[in-house]
This record gives sequence, C-alpha cells and structure tokens, in this order.
Amino acid sequence: MAQHNDRILRHAGIDRLFHWLMAAIMTVLLVTSLLPVIGVHFAWYTIHWVAGLLLTAVILLHIVRALFWQRPATMLTLNGDDLAGRRAGKYTLPQKLMHLAWTVAVLVAIVTGLLLLRKAGVPFLARDPYARPLAIWGFLTLLHDLAALLSVFLILVHVYFGILPEKRAYLRAMVRGWIARGDLKAEHDLERVDRGD
Amino acid sequence: MNMNILRYGHDSFGERVVNGASWELLPVAFWTGVAVIVAHLVYRAFSRRRARKGGG
Repeated sequence: MAQHNDRILRHAGIDRLFHWLMAAIMTVLLVTSLLPVIGVHFAWYTIHWVAGLLLTAVILLHIVRALFWQRPATMLTLNGDDLAGRRAGKYTLPQKLMHLAWTVAVLVAIVTGLLLLRKAGVPFLARDPYARPLAIWGFLTLLHDLAALLSVFLILVHVYFGILPEKRAYLRAMVRGWIARGDLKAEHDLERVDRGD
Repeated sequence: MNMNILRYGHDSFGERVVNGASWELLPVAFWTGVAVIVAHLVYRAFSRRRARKGGG
C-alpha cells in the first residue's frame, strides 16, 4: 500500500472515478424510475435504459479490476477478526456489509433490467412482450423494484455515514485518495492495513 | 392501515398476476432509512455522553 509520511493511499484514482460515476448513474436511475411513481411524469424510459447499460459497463469494469488488480478478499470476506470485534484491516465490518448490500441491490437491478429490456424494447433489441409468460415478467419486475427500494434505503444510510464528522476522513479519501494514518487508528489495525488485509 | 406489498394485473384469461412491488413500499424504504439514521444519532449521543461521564 503506497505511503507518504503519515498518509496512506486508500483509493486509487480509477476506483474513486468508479465510485462517483456509479453514484451519479444510480441517482439518474432512481430519479428516472421513481419520479413518475410520485406523480412527476416525463419521458423517462430512454434515459433509464441508457443509464442502466452504462451502469452495467462500469460494474463489469469494477469486477474485472477487483478480481485482477485488487484483493477482493479485503472487501468481501467476513473473517474472525471482524466478528470478534477486533480492529479492522482496510475495511471495517459496517463498510463490508454496506458493500455487500450494494452488491446485491446493483447486481439484481442489472440482471433483471437487462432481461426486462426484451419486454420494453430498445433500438438494438426488438420489443417482444410475449417472449416470456406474464408471471415471469412480473417476477423480474418485482425483483427490479425491490432492488430500487433497497437502493433508496442504502443511499440514505450511506450518505449519512459518509458525512458524519467522525467518518469524514473516509469521504475525504474517496475524493482525494489519501487518508492519514491517525484517522485509521481508532478502528483499524495499521499492521493489517499495511499488509493490505 | 391496509398496505399492499405487490402490484397486480390480469392476464388474457382474467387470472391475477404479479406486476411488481407495490409503490406503497417507497415511503417505507425512505422512512426505514430515516429511522436507522435517527436510531444511530440517538445511540451516538448516548455513547458520547457515557464516554464524557466516564472520562470526567
């Protein structure tokens, strides 16, 4: 892990770009899908499917980068230290759980969204509402809706913890890339952080 | 209060089929998020008060 005096590189530029791009795309997706629900009607569908395809591309790039350039275990594993309440490695238990919840919401939204493109139609895929039984379209839409509702909940909680004064060093790291070692001391084991755990 | 969990439609035989999640769940998702935030703010305030008392 790159260091400069008392600072540690927490997020590389490409990962910060991914995070903020995903945040912007998720905002567009939720605004275009949920504003009509609360009575603000506009031609939302084209913006929604284009944003959905962009999100799919960004997530695919993120998965490839995480698998081949990063250590996915750092974020994905809940190990004994996490469960015993010991100090964390790079990510704390709540950060890992937040990532897991986003993973579920986004992957469910993407998979069901891509399948639903067939029902509604896009320029490169002819509309065919008879391709699957109504019950299957309904089930896919139900999962897509639940992913959207989970995202509404997650955005509120994620933004709240991001702007809390005692957590703001993490937000700064997601903007600048660097975090001070002193900011990690309270909740992280610096040896584990240095090892890249 | 009678809240719907699902949206329903009908197929060509008049059978009821699920169309998706009920949009009555949208405020539930929003207010659940707000409830978590408020609960954490209360917990945070009590933790800080306890820490101040313990330290002083």
